[in-house]
Amino acid sequence: MAQPFPYTYYSCDCYDSKITPNPSKRASQPPPADDEDERTFDPRNPRSNYSLYPLEHLLYCEDCQQIRCQRCVIEETLNWFCPSCLFEVPSSVIKSDGNRCTRNCYNCPVCTSPMTVNSLENPADPSSSGGPWILACPYCHWSTVEIGIEFEKHTGITSQLTRIGNGGKAIPTPKERDKERERRKELETMKKDRDVLSGSEDSPTTDRGRDDGPPSHDDIFSNLSAFYKSQIASQTPSNPFSPHEINFSSPSSFSRIMNLYSSTTSKKQKREKPAPMREAASVLEGLIIHDPSEDAAAIERIKKEGWSSTLSSTQKFAQPIPTIRFDSELRPIASLLCTKRGKRCRSCRHILSKPESKITSTRYKIKLLALNHILRLSLRALSTTTIQPGTPSPLAFDYNNLKSGIPTHFLLHLSNPLFDPIRVTLATPSTTPGKIQSRVTILCPQFEVGANTDVWDDALSSSLSPIKKPTSIGPDGQPQTSIEAGKIWDRGRNWTSVIIEVIPGFVGGIGFSVGKSDPEDELDEDEDVLEIPIFVRLEFEADVNAEERGLGDSRGERGAREKREEAFWTVVGVGRIAKM
Amino acid sequence: MASSDRKVSAPLSRSIRGTTPARLQDLASTPESPRTPIRATSSLFGSPGGGFRTEDEYLVLELGSRFVRGGFPGESAPRCTLPFGPDQQRRVGDYRQWDPESTHRRKKRRRDQDWGQDHELYRLDLTEVDLGLVEDKFERAMREAYNKYFLLDPKPRRILLALPPRTPHPLMSTVLEVLFGNFQAPSIMLMSSPILSTVAAGLRSALVVDIGWAETTVTGVCEYREVHEQRSIRAGKLLSEDMAKLLNAQFNENVEEGSPKVGVSFEEAEEVLTRVGWCKSRPRSDRKTLYFPARTSPVLEEFEDAVELPEPTITIPFTHSMPPTELTVPFASLAKPTESALFAPDTPLNELDDHELPLHHLIYRALLSLPMDVRRLCMSRIIITGGVSNLPGLKTRILSELEALVQQRGWDPVRSYGSASARHEQILRKQKENLELQREEADDKVSESLDPDTPSAPLSPGLQDPEVDPIDTKLAHLALTGGPPSTCCVGGTIRGVETLGAWAGASLVAQLRIKGIVEIERERFLQHGLLGASREKEVSVVPQRQSMGPGVGRGAGERASWTLGVWA
Repeated sequence: MAQPFPYTYYSCDCYDSKITPNPSKRASQPPPADDEDERTFDPRNPRSNYSLYPLEHLLYCEDCQQIRCQRCVIEETLNWFCPSCLFEVPSSVIKSDGNRCTRNCYNCPVCTSPMTVNSLENPADPSSSGGPWILACPYCHWSTVEIGIEFEKHTGITSQLTRIGNGGKAIPTPKERDKERERRKELETMKKDRDVLSGSEDSPTTDRGRDDGPPSHDDIFSNLSAFYKSQIASQTPSNPFSPHEINFSSPSSFSRIMNLYSSTTSKKQKREKPAPMREAASVLEGLIIHDPSEDAAAIERIKKEGWSSTLSSTQKFAQPIPTIRFDSELRPIASLLCTKRGKRCRSCRHILSKPESKITSTRYKIKLLALNHILRLSLRALSTTTIQPGTPSPLAFDYNNLKSGIPTHFLLHLSNPLFDPIRVTLATPSTTPGKIQSRVTILCPQFEVGANTDVWDDALSSSLSPIKKPTSIGPDGQPQTSIEAGKIWDRGRNWTSVIIEVIPGFVGGIGFSVGKSDPEDELDEDEDVLEIPIFVRLEFEADVNAEERGLGDSRGERGAREKREEAFWTVVGVGRIAKM
Repeated sequence: MASSDRKVSAPLSRSIRGTTPARLQDLASTPESPRTPIRATSSLFGSPGGGFRTEDEYLVLELGSRFVRGGFPGESAPRCTLPFGPDQQRRVGDYRQWDPESTHRRKKRRRDQDWGQDHELYRLDLTEVDLGLVEDKFERAMREAYNKYFLLDPKPRRILLALPPRTPHPLMSTVLEVLFGNFQAPSIMLMSSPILSTVAAGLRSALVVDIGWAETTVTGVCEYREVHEQRSIRAGKLLSEDMAKLLNAQFNENVEEGSPKVGVSFEEAEEVLTRVGWCKSRPRSDRKTLYFPARTSPVLEEFEDAVELPEPTITIPFTHSMPPTELTVPFASLAKPTESALFAPDTPLNELDDHELPLHHLIYRALLSLPMDVRRLCMSRIIITGGVSNLPGLKTRILSELEALVQQRGWDPVRSYGSASARHEQILRKQKENLELQREEADDKVSESLDPDTPSAPLSPGLQDPEVDPIDTKLAHLALTGGPPSTCCVGGTIRGVETLGAWAGASLVAQLRIKGIVEIERERFLQHGLLGASREKEVSVVPQRQSMGPGVGRGAGERASWTLGVWA
């Protein structure tokens, strides 16, 4: 995995619990196990990718006493800001102007790095404004010059950019577009009338609309939209209070009140059958007849300009209109706004995290992290040579090169963030799931982890009596003999470590078919990674009032203890098994 | 009060039919026994329900098998188009896609997976689909869309969801569950994507050819209703697989013996296909042998593609292999996968199964099985959409192939007359001769009328021109000035119409606040799931109309029952 070995993932079981209500739907699937409880967690299952999280990404709901992952929280946006200029955008602007920064923040459409506004001023002939200006990418040196766009001012790039099309053509604003459409339509009808009068049957639409190339995507859309609006408007009757006609333009509450008085007689009223809505008939109404010449032009262009003039799919999808094909159609991408979001538990709606609303602040008002509530598991190799603290080990353990078939010992280190001692039970399937089966044994599956008391307590007490209680084994001496089943390895103030013995499996089956490289036998990505699913069950006693704070009536029982239990799956990534 | 305007709009069947006429037509055509209308008297006199106050804001989603598009109504393009690739399926905290080392590694297909399977959200064969995984993928994509692109305030939004018709129910229910459960949508309106493509082309009737990922569907749409559907597996998946084969062959051609064979990854094949893939606009030249009626179409006037020297080539960089290589491919060969995958010119038709018809035959068959009047409308409103349709030259090619097919075969459903074929030929010839004769005679008549002295021989009445009725011409004039323009009733010829795509159609529909027939309320869905839908395919609009009363909505969410429409 991309995380360095060894790592630990925690599984949030929210998807499990959500599925149980309707198991019948999944009847077609082969049942993975007889019982939900019997089933062991399989980190190879593609679904596991969606339920495993590093501990740092998890929140904890104190009221539900459960881990909360990204899918089992509700997010609510607190404020919006541009990550590039850190300008806070009010929500009304989000509604009107969309999800992108409307200032000068643009990203390069080729390589996505932020673009800068540069001057193209001719030093021999300086202009008064210092312009013309361009947007240029400092990383890949793409600039708006390549699409023929220059700006007059260095501020308000967005408003300038919306008015300039590629190649310097002006883009009409929606209003201008509407006006232009009206004008053309009038022309068209006039022409049609003339045609009708003169009796010629020429189609009035074929010879026009070609004056400025094919209409853009936006043009077509606005034409269509205007056409449908006009069609619906023409269905609207002249009498706005007619009970059976639906009125799109007047306040409907008003017409509703009027209808109270007319509804009894309405049934008898004769209605004129209006003409059905027609389809679009011209380019101005959004009808685009397929034109083979565009296809031919595109083919010619690919043939001539080759690979480099075309766009990759990521570049296309980043564009506002993702149907473009060539690099001359690229537009600078205004940077996407970011949000600060509060998170609530999906089941009890309590706030789990809430950042400070100031954009530049990274602090949180409320932050309930799983880190502070859940036992932390970590793994490291138990080096066979004695390591004195302070001196680096001469030979670092190579996690990317586990030896098949050789028993290797790892130290599973559990540290407790809670202020109560925890009784831990660990369980793991004896062989790991997946193609390469490795044998795993936890030498001591049941033990206690001390409370996270004050560090000073620890310091004081440890000075009195050394925490290390070498039961029968010591970290020094001969480790081979001292690893003993049923005994913990080491223990500290709020941590305990136990030994896991792993016998990594053989990469090519059982080691016989190593010589031939059968494509069927080849491993998929990450199949040689040794991951151990470990089921962790915690038992501890905690103060009752911890989760009842705010109720106020628990004063009498303050100090009352309550037994709690938590259980979850974790996946420990040990390393990569070496090819033999 | 824009919101309440929408409420009082009649629940239109399927999508934009004209508002009132739609109701009127339904009134006339619903073959239902008279029944007592459900009256909502209380809402008449009571204060308007909460439905009036909530402002109806929509989100527009389009779900395909490889991408989901999402955005807001009234915008011409979606805010985001999210893929379902393997990079989207990694664990949280796994950032290897940004690891510079990984970009130089060619991704390998997993053993148990089909070509491109890890890029799919679902496949229609649900026996192989883990619906839980579909849910996970969809949920993650939607979370990204909401958090990264929509940036909404917490107010719940209604959703207009464009789905292909015949989406399997378990899949629909999974998708709806996510949208209702995790994203708190108060209601979801389903619309079928061919109809939305029709809307986005400005038409009412069309033949929508959706060349998607797993299959191509040809849907006949008449007056915003699906009337017929045909499908074929000749679509994007086959195409990209063929492209990969071509690239592999090109690679291994130059590679010396003994070195390992190169297998390009899905991503590479896809990239080559979308960037430089193309399609020959004209059918192959061995069409001369075909029989054509007297007036040959101009498209098929044969000329060999002029052989260009030197042959144009395209150099394709492959950065994922180590070391990065380049491959120079003849430009013409990049059109071959399209040819073989979509048109299968080398396979005789009788060797193909029904589910793998070449596209032009598929469209021809779809047209053939449409009723004659619908066919007339549809054949001149062919909308080619879907991801693959962006290949340059493909639309032109399909249309010209289709035209050739129609010219060759006419609209005769019988393909082979067997022993009677001679007779059939004879009939055909006779018909043609008659037609020619008629035309000649019409020409003759003109010349004859020029010299009125010679009395012409009396023509048979069937061949005579019908008398021109002055009133007819007057009506025609009137219609021309007052009615819809003549282009609205074009029919009978093969014509392609461009569309902005289903998403844009959905955006238009939502912008105009038109209600679809399938609207699912959150509460109802959470209670009963898809089983709560009434069995009828078409919920009659009549009782609703009455219950709504004039201008008195019962609130958008209070339909007596809901249906799944085409998806039922």
